[in-house]
Amino acid sequence: MTGSSLPSAAASATAPPATAPPATAPPAAAPPAAAPPAAAPPAAGQPPLSPPLSKIEQAKAELCGLELAPRLEELGRQGWEALDEATLTIRLKWLGIFFRPVTPGRFMVRLRLPNGVIRAEQLEVLAEAVDRCGEHGSADITTRQNIQLRGLLLEDMAPLMAALEGVGLTSRQSGHDNPRNITGNPLAGIDPEEFLDTRPLVDAIQAALLGPAGPRNLPRKFNVAVGGAPDSFLLHNDLAYLPALRAGDLGFTVMVGGFFSAQRNELAIPLGLWLPAGQLPAFTLAVLRHYERAGNRQQRNRSRLMYLVDQLGLEGYRQAVLASWQELAADLGPELGGDPAAACPHDGSHLVSRAPRDGLGLQPQKQEGLHWLGLHVPMGRLDGEAMTELARLARTHGSGELRLTEAQNALIVNVPAERVEALLAEPLLQRLRPDPSPLQAEAVSCTGNAYCGFALIPTKGTAQAVLEELERRVELPHAVRMHWTGCPNACGQPYMGQIGLMGAKARKDGQMVEAAKIFLGGSMEAEPKLAELHDKGVPLSDLPDVLEELLVERFGARRRTSAGA
Amino acid sequence: MNPLVSAQPSPADLPASGDPARWPWLQRLRRDPALTVEPWLRAIETGALTPEADLLTALAAQLDAAAELRLLRWWAAQPSPDPRLPALLGRHRDPRLGAWLLARLQDGPAALAAGLAPVVAEGLLPLLGAQRLPQAWPVLKRWLLAPVAGPLRRAALEGVAVGLPVWPRADLRGCLQGLAADLDPRLAAGAVDLLARLPRSRRLLLPLARRGLDPSVALRLQRRLAATPVQPLLLVVHGRSGGVLPAEVLDLAQELEQRRGAPVRLQALTAASPPEAGSWLRSGPQLTLVPLLLLPGGHVRHDLPAIAAHWRRLTPLLRLPFLGAWPRWQAGLAAEVQALAAAHAGPGLQPLLLHHPLTTPLAGRYLARLEQVSGGRAHATPYSAGELAEFQLPRSAPALPLALAANRFTDRLGDRVGPPLLQRPALRQLLLEELEALP
Repeated sequence: MTGSSLPSAAASATAPPATAPPATAPPAAAPPAAAPPAAAPPAAGQPPLSPPLSKIEQAKAELCGLELAPRLEELGRQGWEALDEATLTIRLKWLGIFFRPVTPGRFMVRLRLPNGVIRAEQLEVLAEAVDRCGEHGSADITTRQNIQLRGLLLEDMAPLMAALEGVGLTSRQSGHDNPRNITGNPLAGIDPEEFLDTRPLVDAIQAALLGPAGPRNLPRKFNVAVGGAPDSFLLHNDLAYLPALRAGDLGFTVMVGGFFSAQRNELAIPLGLWLPAGQLPAFTLAVLRHYERAGNRQQRNRSRLMYLVDQLGLEGYRQAVLASWQELAADLGPELGGDPAAACPHDGSHLVSRAPRDGLGLQPQKQEGLHWLGLHVPMGRLDGEAMTELARLARTHGSGELRLTEAQNALIVNVPAERVEALLAEPLLQRLRPDPSPLQAEAVSCTGNAYCGFALIPTKGTAQAVLEELERRVELPHAVRMHWTGCPNACGQPYMGQIGLMGAKARKDGQMVEAAKIFLGGSMEAEPKLAELHDKGVPLSDLPDVLEELLVERFGARRRTSAGA
Repeated sequence: MNPLVSAQPSPADLPASGDPARWPWLQRLRRDPALTVEPWLRAIETGALTPEADLLTALAAQLDAAAELRLLRWWAAQPSPDPRLPALLGRHRDPRLGAWLLARLQDGPAALAAGLAPVVAEGLLPLLGAQRLPQAWPVLKRWLLAPVAGPLRRAALEGVAVGLPVWPRADLRGCLQGLAADLDPRLAAGAVDLLARLPRSRRLLLPLARRGLDPSVALRLQRRLAATPVQPLLLVVHGRSGGVLPAEVLDLAQELEQRRGAPVRLQALTAASPPEAGSWLRSGPQLTLVPLLLLPGGHVRHDLPAIAAHWRRLTPLLRLPFLGAWPRWQAGLAAEVQALAAAHAGPGLQPLLLHHPLTTPLAGRYLARLEQVSGGRAHATPYSAGELAEFQLPRSAPALPLALAANRFTDRLGDRVGPPLLQRPALRQLLLEELEALP
C-alpha cells in the first residue's frame, strides 16, 4: 500500500514531555541511573536547546530498574496490574523480568549465562521454576547462548531471584537498554581447535559491565561477543573481539557496529585496533561508557552503535573510544581501567575462517579420554522435565556442566569414555537427538506469535513442521542453516541463515494467509555475508514445495525416491 | 499548536494485513506518545476495523481501563468472539472493570444457561482473577468446582493463579488440595503447582503423596516435593539407661528417614557420646536439631545448649524449640486428653497429665499453659525407683503419661496409665507428619 500516512517519528520526538509521575504505585524515590542530559529550560522566547526526552528515556532517568530489586516481594503482593506502565514494561527488564503483552500476568525471565555455560544444579533451579508453571511454563535457549523462562507470575520473582543467586546465576540487566549476555566459543576450554579459552575473558567482561563502574542507562541494547576458535558467529554484535595475531602475539582485533533491526542490518567492521586478552574488560567498559554518553537518545531506531560510528566516522569514533579509555583508566586505575597503551593499530585481519560448527553428536575433547555430546534441542524450546533430565545426564555422565550454543542446542561436556555408552542409551536422546537431520541441526527460530504479538506466524511450530516435511522429501549432503523469524524485528536473525525466513502475509486464492519471506545467501564463512531477499511472501502452505526446490537447486539436496510417489 | 503533534494516525490509514507497510506503521502507532484512542475504539465498535492481534498488541499499551472495558464489552457481544483478544486487554486493575467482570461471571456456570458464551467466560475468568477482588474468590471457586468443560475450569484456575496472594488462605489450600485429585489431570497438575507456590508448601504437598493421584500429577508432585529443600535431622531424645534407644523411637526415625529421603539421626541424652559426624552431615546445607523433649526441664535448659554447641562446631545448625512447645503437638495432646475424658466419663474426672517433677517457675508456667490448652491436670510423679514403687494414682481419674517413649515409669505403671505417647497411634502419626514436613 502506498500513500499510508505513517504515524510520524518526528511527532514522537517533538511531543511535549510527560511531566506526570508514574501512573500508579510510584516506586520509592531513589537516585536516578546515570541520567542522560534532560532538555534544558529554554530562555524566554527561545526554542529548547535540545529535544525533550522520549517516554522511555524519561522512565530510565527517573529510576533505574535495579532499584526495584529489594521491592520485588512487595511488587508481587501488589500484583502486576498495580504497576505503572514504565515499571511494568521498562524498568523490570533491568532485573531481567519481562512483561509479555501476549501473556499478561505470565512473565518472562531472561538470564545471563556468560559464554553459554551452565551447571546441572543451576539448570535444575530453572527447570523447577518453569515446571511449576505447568502448561504456561517453558524455556527457550536463545541465539545468545542464553536461557529465557516463560510463564512465571510476578509473585514468583522474589523467590526465583533468591534461588538464582543461591546457585550463582543472575538475570540482571539482560533486557532493554543494557549490555546483553556476552557470547563466546561454546566449546571453550574443551575445543581441540580453539586458539584460546574464551570463558575467563567473557566472565571478566561481564564482571566489569555489571560492576559498580558498569553502565546502567545505555541509549539502546548492546551486544558483545568474544571469539576463540576459527568459527564465526560474531559479526552481528555491536562489539566483537576476533582472535588475531600481531607480531606473533595472540590477541584480538576489535570489530564494531554489527546489528540487525527492522530498519537496517550490518555486520561489524574493523575498528583498526588490536588488544591483548587482558585488556578486553577495560576496553569494553570504555566503549560502553562512551556509548552511554554519546549515543543517540532521541531516535530509538537510530541509536545502535553503528549509527554513532556513522556519525563520528570510523577514525573519529576510534579516537573518541581511546579517549574514553584514557579517562576510565585515570578514574579507576590500571586494575579496573586497564592500560590504554596496550592498544595497537591493526588491519583487522583475524583467525576466524569458517561458519560455526554445530557441535552436535559425540566428539572428542582436547582433554585425552573425555568427550562432549551435542544434543539438538528442536527450535531451542525445553520444558521443565527435559531440563531436569538434561541436568541429570550432565551430572551422571559428565562433570555436571552444560554448554548452550547460538544455534539453540545443548552440549553435555567432560564425558569420560567409559560413560559414553550409557549416556547414548538415555531415553532423553530420543527427544533431544545427537544426530538430527542436516536441516534440523542448525535451525534457529524466534519465539513466534505464541508469545509475541508482532510475530506474523507461529514461528517455532511452523519451522518444525516444515523441516519435518522437508526431511521426508529430500536428503541433504550437509547441514543447511535455516533461520526463522516472525517479523521484521529479526530476532531469529534471518539474515545470517543460508536460508532465512521471515513471517509475512500473502494473498492466496483471494484470501490473506500466513506466509514467509525468503532470504538467501547468508554466509558465516571467511567472507561473511548477509542474506538477501529472494521471495517477498510464500504462503506457508506452499513453503515445503518452494523450499524443496531451493534445496535441490542450490544446496545439493536429492529427492527421496519415495517422495511424491 | 504543533502541527506534527496534531497529526493523528487514523484507522483509515492503517495498512491492510499483508501490506509490508503495516508492521512499521504499527510500531510507530505503539510508540506514539500523543495517540488519541477514541477513533480506534469507534472504528472497532462500528466494524470499520478488525481488531487483529497485531493491532491490539500495538494499541494495548495506549488503552486506559475505560477503553479496555469498552473493548471487552464490544468483544463479549460479538457473535463469534476472537478468543485471543481478552489476553491482550485487562492490563488495569480498576473498580469498574472488576465490577463488570464480576457481574458477567458471578452466577457461575448457571450464566452459561442464561446466554453467556463459553468462549467469553473462558476469556474473562483470568481477567477476573487479575482484578484481585475479595468477592471474586467464591466466583472463581464456583467455576473451578463445577461440572463444566475443562477449558472453563482451567481458565478459572488461571484466575486463581494470577490473584493467588489475596485469596483466603485456608479455603484456597483446601480447594487446591481437593483439585489435586481431580479427574482432569491438567487441572490437577495446576492445583499441585499452585500449592507449591504457597508458604510452607511442603506441609501442603505431603498429604497428597498418600492419595491416588493421576500418574502424571503424581510425577509433578514428586518434582515439587523434590524442590523443597530437606535437611538432615538430629532427633534428641531422653533415651534409657546407658544410651539405649527405645524401639518406638528407632522405628520412628527409620520411617521418617524413608519418608523424607534425607538422613535422620538420634542422640540420646543418656548416651556417653553423640553420634558420629559422618558423611550424612553433608547431605544438606544445615543440620536441623529437633529436641523431642516434652518439658522445659534441666535437659532443655542445660543439656540442649551443650549439644547444639557441639554440632555447631561441625556444621551450620538450626535448633528447633522442644517438642512440648509445638502448638500442633499441644493440640494433639489435647485431643488425646479429650479422648481419655470421653472414655472415662464421670463427674470430676479431669484427666491427669503425669509428668516428671519440675521445680522452676518457667516449668510451672509451662504446665499451667498445657493444662489450659489440653484440659488435663498436671500431676507430678516420682522419679526414683523406690518412690515409684510407692506411688499411688488418684483413684478413678484417667491419666496420660508425659513420656514420649517407654521409661521406668511406663514400664512399671503402664497397665494403669497406658502406653507412652509414641505408642499411641494418633500422636505417633502427628509427630511423624510434623517431622516429615520440616524443611
